[in-house]
Amino acid sequence: MSLAWTSKLALAAGLALLPGSAWAEAVNISYLTHWSPETVALLENAAKEYSKTHPDVTVTVRAVPFGDLLTTLRSQSGGSDGATIGGIYDLWLPELARDKLVAPAPEVVAAEVKGAWPAGVVSAASVGGALYGIPNEIDVYALNYNKDLFKQAGIEAAPGTWDEFRETAKKLTKKDAGQQGFGMINSWAAGVVHPFASLLVSNGGELVGDGKPVLDSKQAGETFELYEGLIKDGSSEPSMATADANTTGPFLDNFVSGKTGMIIMANWWESALKTGMGDKFANIATAPIPVGPSGDKPHSISYSWMTVVNAKAGEAEQKAAWDFLAWLNGAKSGQNGASAMSDILMSMGILPSRSSDIEAHKGKLGSEFLAGYVSVLSDARPFPVVPGGQEFSESLQQTLEALQYGQISAQEAQAKAQADAISILERAAK
Amino acid sequence: MTNGYRASAGIMLAPAVSLIGVFILLPMLLTVWLSFNDWSTQTPFSEAHFVGLANFHDIFGPTSVGRDFKGALVNTAIYTALSVAIILPLSVLFGLLVHQRDVGGGTLLRTVLFSTYMVPMIAVALVWSKLYSPSEGPFNQMLGLVGVGPQPWLSSPRSALISIVLLNVWQQVGYFTVLAIAGLTQIPGSLYEAATLDGANRTEQFRYITLPLLRRTLLFSAVIAIINAVQVFEPVALITQGGPVGSTNVLTYHIRRVGIERAQGGLGSAMAVMLMLSLIVAVCALFAIMNRKDDE
Repeated sequence: MSLAWTSKLALAAGLALLPGSAWAEAVNISYLTHWSPETVALLENAAKEYSKTHPDVTVTVRAVPFGDLLTTLRSQSGGSDGATIGGIYDLWLPELARDKLVAPAPEVVAAEVKGAWPAGVVSAASVGGALYGIPNEIDVYALNYNKDLFKQAGIEAAPGTWDEFRETAKKLTKKDAGQQGFGMINSWAAGVVHPFASLLVSNGGELVGDGKPVLDSKQAGETFELYEGLIKDGSSEPSMATADANTTGPFLDNFVSGKTGMIIMANWWESALKTGMGDKFANIATAPIPVGPSGDKPHSISYSWMTVVNAKAGEAEQKAAWDFLAWLNGAKSGQNGASAMSDILMSMGILPSRSSDIEAHKGKLGSEFLAGYVSVLSDARPFPVVPGGQEFSESLQQTLEALQYGQISAQEAQAKAQADAISILERAAK
Repeated sequence: MTNGYRASAGIMLAPAVSLIGVFILLPMLLTVWLSFNDWSTQTPFSEAHFVGLANFHDIFGPTSVGRDFKGALVNTAIYTALSVAIILPLSVLFGLLVHQRDVGGGTLLRTVLFSTYMVPMIAVALVWSKLYSPSEGPFNQMLGLVGVGPQPWLSSPRSALISIVLLNVWQQVGYFTVLAIAGLTQIPGSLYEAATLDGANRTEQFRYITLPLLRRTLLFSAVIAIINAVQVFEPVALITQGGPVGSTNVLTYHIRRVGIERAQGGLGSAMAVMLMLSLIVAVCALFAIMNRKDDE
């Protein structure tokens, strides 16, 4: 064989090996989350497990408070140095996808997700028919109440209707002891808006219908009036309702210390309650959202979280990120047919959304606290995921807080909320 | 000779002027240009499109965009006015106390006062959010000891901003006390001796000697205090998130929410331009007032 032919063969062999050798190069990917240090440690353990079979991929985990998560994603995802993977709230997806900050999932990942997750959850992780994230958690709202306080007030059962709800809240209120019947939340958009939205859908209404705000409905008006009534009754004290950047604060302190009788909250705060209450966590029970005068049966709202991949990350990092996420959320990475992600979520009391994960965790999902949430999941309505959704939530938060503090009436709040929502969603849709 | 002198001066100034131009003037001009454009902060500048005064119309309009901006502007103005009005007199008072040569422990007091300025805001925020806690906060417990009922502090729209002002005063007053002491040391002792011989009491000495001769120091302190107050961000971001009911939503925090969280770069830039203009007007007004007093 001549030297020329030898050289040509060597070049051809080198070119053929190039993609393979590129994959063999070390790839560093980072994962941005808002989880607590204990949960971050679980994720790091899962990443180490993944690295055993993928020694060339290193996954590092970074955590920021929930209040800073979107800002961090937006400010750092513009460059290749930003986090490769981000855990996001479904409400943020339309705008992150519009601004091309997140990458669409590869075909193989999209096909797996479409087959293994419920259609509603897949839809919340998609924009314009394209899947952008692998869903992981689903959160739903229910009524949490303190059984001890109920017993002391002579109340035997959780309220089923709004009339019973107001009556129960009155009975649980002891001004002199600094005890309120129902705890609202303020200074945190989702914390303010989601309980309101849960009561609204349990009254037969909705926030957005066919892409347009419908807060001018009779059902919405009645929900604003319920808030006004609770404040006027003295059953809810806004000064006990403040949250901070870590979604903790006085509203949580007051519930865990037995100063608040009832609150409407999502399943994920099980871990916060357990941490704050210790053995007294057994005093907390869960019930469906009370039904309003225009409602047919209990409903609440749900929302989901997903992991997305930075569209500005390098090709190798993106490929490694999707592969890691597919493994993390796959049916073989966790215990007893569950995904490693679902094991992490269940440690916080968060419901996984993958169908096989719900089956695998059936036993734990039957606990007294979580069973109440699982039972309302089938009748839950997804929180509307629309462009401008975050701004819409923040605007409604301001209006509801003004109502809580008696700055405006229920009628004024309804008119203001609808006018603001129209203007925000119209501008975002342009 | 003169031309040579000018040329060498120009060459020596060029590096500094260029750096200022690139890192200060250019971003300022860019912000002004973006304020006349519709632009998402997640897209290149080339995708910005000119909308004239539409962003300014929106931020002063009747919709939630305008309402939130105007609310944040008012909150910032109140925060700034209260901070300056409390910090400056307190700094002079503490300065006079510490400056007393016949009182022991002055250096220790000076160190203690200045130490609050060196504490990182994250630590201050963590501690103060607990101090203000309505149920278990030491402030309410202390008030309870003297028969005053619990106060809502950060949990009420009526007191939240004032609570943040008090936190700011606590942290900043030591720095301004040091400035006041520096001013006091510049006043010749002979003036006080002469005044004493003329029969002036302490109050008269303060009014006719200390205060007029401290005017330049107070002007500098006021300008720095205004700039610091207008730029308040951390305590709001860490403790109140702008709430409740937007009562602590100050401009820097609001601009971050609009410009970064919502990626509305044009609107955020228009708000930043208004913040800059407000600051320029406030500082110029302060200088004008002081110059008029000097002329008198």
